[in-house]
Amino acid sequence: MSLKRRSAQWPWHGLLVVILLGLAIGLWMATKQVNYEWRWERVPQYFAYHDEVAQTAPFTGRIVKVHPDGAYSQVEMIPDAGGSRAIITVETDTLRVADGAQVTEDQEIGVTRHWRVGPLTEGLWVTIWISFASGFIGLIIGLVTGLCRISKNPALRGLAVLYIELIRGTPLLVQIFIFYFFIGTVLNLDRTVAGIGALSLFVGAYTAEIIRAGIQSIPKGQTEAARSLGMSTAETMIHIVLPQAFKRVLPPLAGQFISLIKDSSLVSVIAITDLTKSGREIITSSFATFEIWFTVALLYLLITSVLSQLLFWLERRFARSD
Amino acid sequence: MIEVKNLLKIFEGRGQVVRAVDDVSTQVAKGEVVVVIGPSGSGKSTFLRCLNGLEEFDDGQVIIDGIDIASSATNLNAVRREVGMVFQHFNLFPHKTVLENVTLAQRVVRKRKAAEAKDKAMALLTKVGIAEKANEYPSRLSGGQQQRVAIARALAMDPKVMLFDEPTSALDPEMVGEVLDVMKQLAREGMTMAVVTHEMGFAREVAQRVLFMDVGKVLEDAPPAEFFTAPKEPRAQAFLKQVL
Ligand SMILES: Nc1ncnc2c1ncn2[C@@H]1O[C@H](COP(=O)(O)OP(=O)(O)O)[C@@H](O)[C@H]1O
Ligand SMILES: [Mg+2]
Repeated sequence: MSLKRRSAQWPWHGLLVVILLGLAIGLWMATKQVNYEWRWERVPQYFAYHDEVAQTAPFTGRIVKVHPDGAYSQVEMIPDAGGSRAIITVETDTLRVADGAQVTEDQEIGVTRHWRVGPLTEGLWVTIWISFASGFIGLIIGLVTGLCRISKNPALRGLAVLYIELIRGTPLLVQIFIFYFFIGTVLNLDRTVAGIGALSLFVGAYTAEIIRAGIQSIPKGQTEAARSLGMSTAETMIHIVLPQAFKRVLPPLAGQFISLIKDSSLVSVIAITDLTKSGREIITSSFATFEIWFTVALLYLLITSVLSQLLFWLERRFARSD
Repeated sequence: MIEVKNLLKIFEGRGQVVRAVDDVSTQVAKGEVVVVIGPSGSGKSTFLRCLNGLEEFDDGQVIIDGIDIASSATNLNAVRREVGMVFQHFNLFPHKTVLENVTLAQRVVRKRKAAEAKDKAMALLTKVGIAEKANEYPSRLSGGQQQRVAIARALAMDPKVMLFDEPTSALDPEMVGEVLDVMKQLAREGMTMAVVTHEMGFAREVAQRVLFMDVGKVLEDAPPAEFFTAPKEPRAQAFLKQVL
């Protein structure tokens, strides 16, 4: 195994590196061709930026004294018209006035700086919470539909099949439009609610099929053993079938959820400012088209790979009884 | 304890109609051990599974301890509590430890307290000689050990009747004895038992009666001494010639 295999493997690793390098060089050359100027330095400000807020004089008057206090300074001033003094705090390095100076109302005295969350971070957050909300609701819909799908009651079964086929047979983009423009209008729904609703129904249908398959993959003997002990149908499901099925459906369910995060980018068409929409908006003002799209892609990749890791960990924990 | 009248179970499928249990009437008295033998496909499992309602039979009556299990007034779950069943392939719950396998139904069905259920479980696991594996998962046990746990699991419900469907058929030969020993002990303690098995030695030693089934019918019903030495039915004779 050891020496022979290793000597046979390294040329392929070498080839891999060469191919990747080739791709990178090709990409770089391609952007050179179109005279694209990379401005990566513009990207960080869309995650968070230092906002400056101008501090102005509340009245026409005179500066009594500037009290320096490290990075900040307290400016004490008194109105010409008489009345109580005011104290304004500004950043010392932006101080525009000195002791005894005369100021008019609304004159700038200095600024204060605050960290603000940029549109990319906001979009990322919207994408994450919309995905989790629809993933959670979809899981419940899927569980109920999956159980209906294998129920003995023809009405429940028929409804479940109809719902699953409708959702799986139409594109998500069309479903989002229908949900927003039709159901959303009829029920007077907020666009975010409509987006989450459409995504939930979408994952619900796929989850139902995963759960149905998971339940049916549990051997009949398990149910029979539980029933022969006097457990009811529901008790058998809760204590015997679902826990075992859950372990089996965890990988496909997680895959579905990872897909959902990517599919959620489609809600940007109904003007929900998720990660994708934020990216599009930023480009109109920054002109850093390539950089922003690459960054957006990387952010999606980041969420999905964190989830993959989490799943890997969960699977190992559940493998205890094997 | 068990009374069966004109039991009929038909399987339909792929254009075929199989009368798996065909007009069977018999009874098992309290404390009696009845062994059911017969060729493969003769309806032994189906018959046994009708006794606790795992199969919905088409006609006839099954009366367990005075309760007609097919009557609409009967709570089948309540009947099943009183009827333990042991399967050919054990069917232990793989996601639960041995101890949890034995306590689960006690807690869920009999509503016993955790401590009470655990004490009962440990006593039964000790009885079947497997207490030291209480905290293992079933996949870590041998077939014979798993089957003994399955017996303990059924006994934990304090059943009035125990049904065994070929409990040793899936076991390696060296493990058959340990399971049969547990069953023999149960029989000595006066448990009412219906056992489908190919273990003729067990039938001879423990059974009060042997039922011979073929194509869904009980063809012979006799004490083992009589059945094994002088079977009346030609098909029973042929069957015994093959297996002995
Ligand atoms: N679920 C089922 N569906 C259709 N036919 C079945 C089913 N279970 C058993 N049978 C048929 O019923 C007959 C009796 O089967 P079974 O009771 O398992 O026999 P045994 O246990 O004596 O080997 C066989 O012909 C078998 O093919
Ligand atoms: Mg059988």
